[in-house]
Amino acid sequence: MKPSAFLKSSIKDFTLNLNTDYRYLKTGYYVSMHAEVLGNPVIPSTESIIDASRTPILLLKASKAGIPTLPYLMASSVKQITSQFAFPVVVFAVNPFSYEGYKTAGNRSALYRAVKSLSMNYKFAVCVQPLKGEMLSFKSIFGKCEHTAEVAKISEKIYETFKIPMCKLHVQTIEGKAYLCGLQPLRIEEIFPSDLETVSTEVFRMSNKGEHLVG
Amino acid sequence: MARIACFVEKYNFSDLRETRALENFKRTAEEKGHAFDFMFREGISEIPKYDAVFIRATTDPLFTAYVVSKTAWELGLKVVDDPESIQICGNKIHLYDLFEKHNIPTIPTLFLNKNEMHHKRFLEIFENLGKPVVVKAPYTSFSRYVEKVACETSFRDVARRFFRKSDLLAVQTFMPTSFDWRVGVLNREVLYVCKYMMPKGRWKHGAKRRGKPTFVWGRTFSLRRENAPPALKELALKACEVIGHGLYGVDIKEADSKYVVVEVNDNPSIYAGYEDCRNKDLYGKIIDYLVD
Repeated sequence: MKPSAFLKSSIKDFTLNLNTDYRYLKTGYYVSMHAEVLGNPVIPSTESIIDASRTPILLLKASKAGIPTLPYLMASSVKQITSQFAFPVVVFAVNPFSYEGYKTAGNRSALYRAVKSLSMNYKFAVCVQPLKGEMLSFKSIFGKCEHTAEVAKISEKIYETFKIPMCKLHVQTIEGKAYLCGLQPLRIEEIFPSDLETVSTEVFRMSNKGEHLVG
Repeated sequence: MARIACFVEKYNFSDLRETRALENFKRTAEEKGHAFDFMFREGISEIPKYDAVFIRATTDPLFTAYVVSKTAWELGLKVVDDPESIQICGNKIHLYDLFEKHNIPTIPTLFLNKNEMHHKRFLEIFENLGKPVVVKAPYTSFSRYVEKVACETSFRDVARRFFRKSDLLAVQTFMPTSFDWRVGVLNREVLYVCKYMMPKGRWKHGAKRRGKPTFVWGRTFSLRRENAPPALKELALKACEVIGHGLYGVDIKEADSKYVVVEVNDNPSIYAGYEDCRNKDLYGKIIDYLVD
């Protein structure tokens, strides 16, 4: 069913909201919101949509669920960041408009540029984490990804916690161990036919329970 | 003794009336034997040190205030405004969708989708809601992003502007009144009642001066909550019931002696000498709720 048709309907059933972009105020968000107002169980919930796109809350909830994370700082000034962390650092936007993901900064001037750009000219705060290993970005479709067992475990646990069907995850690997850093929406160009196969198998498995599919 | 953090941003201190109200909160809390500290963005990492968080900075799921609220909530602290209220009240589409489900009387509202920007749909809207109509972006606050349109051309202009951020808009019947009721509600109890007057020749409480960046605000008349019409208070409580049990400011219009809800706001503005004018106990009640 198309999102615009679902938004006008009053179907009462389990709803699976399939979209690449679940950002706040976008169609993906409104579908989940409407399903919740109707009282339907829905994947993903609006709460997890908002929380997963705000890096500090994502990390807080993830660490509560037992997912390894690194220490983070929410800051709006370079001074505050440098007083807490040594270079290099990785900077995430806390404004959920961003598609860009993260920026790494190895010195003060790079940090100034990263903070200015990701905070939309200091309007929003940024979330900073130390960069001790290598950054790794990958697609997670229903918690499945093609990576080492360590990374796949994070991807699975994130899906269990937030239930976001399709997203991009940012993970940092330090001496073979993986730590969650951030989550962001996928672009439609990033979806390959093989991903759609994963989606359809998963949807088939779920539809045995009987639900309305929106996407 | 409890430790209360009040999350504020610099702009909260730019208006003297608001600064005084914040000082009143601090004084009231301290008189009751609690610690009350102002917390700015830089101090967010200190949230776990407190027992309760009171948010006074403008709330929206996109703003830092939401991160503060959710962090405090996850840590098990008492928080006003709670993240769920911010999520619902911060998005007017969510609010009207809930009101429709629970049969709360509101101004006739339709939703406009980003893909529906065509002549037929505009005609349909004007036919259903009359002319002019009020176009509301879901993230409206302080009378901004609410515009009145009377023809398709200006409707398209406004809608295109609002669609930059949101994929859905609310369109409502235009209902001119000389004032809006504002009912402050805390934990299912009426806290204060005010009349927000419209400035002369305007149709909303805060209006931009033509050609100038400044806003002109209507006057505020406060009345004792005991003296407010019972039907008004009842409707305000009913509207808040579907959202949660926090602190809300309910805007209600009175037309033909019938009341209709305009919207429910979380984080309602509290200015010294305005909202608190006839209900001085509101500071104490909010502090008591925070430490309860």
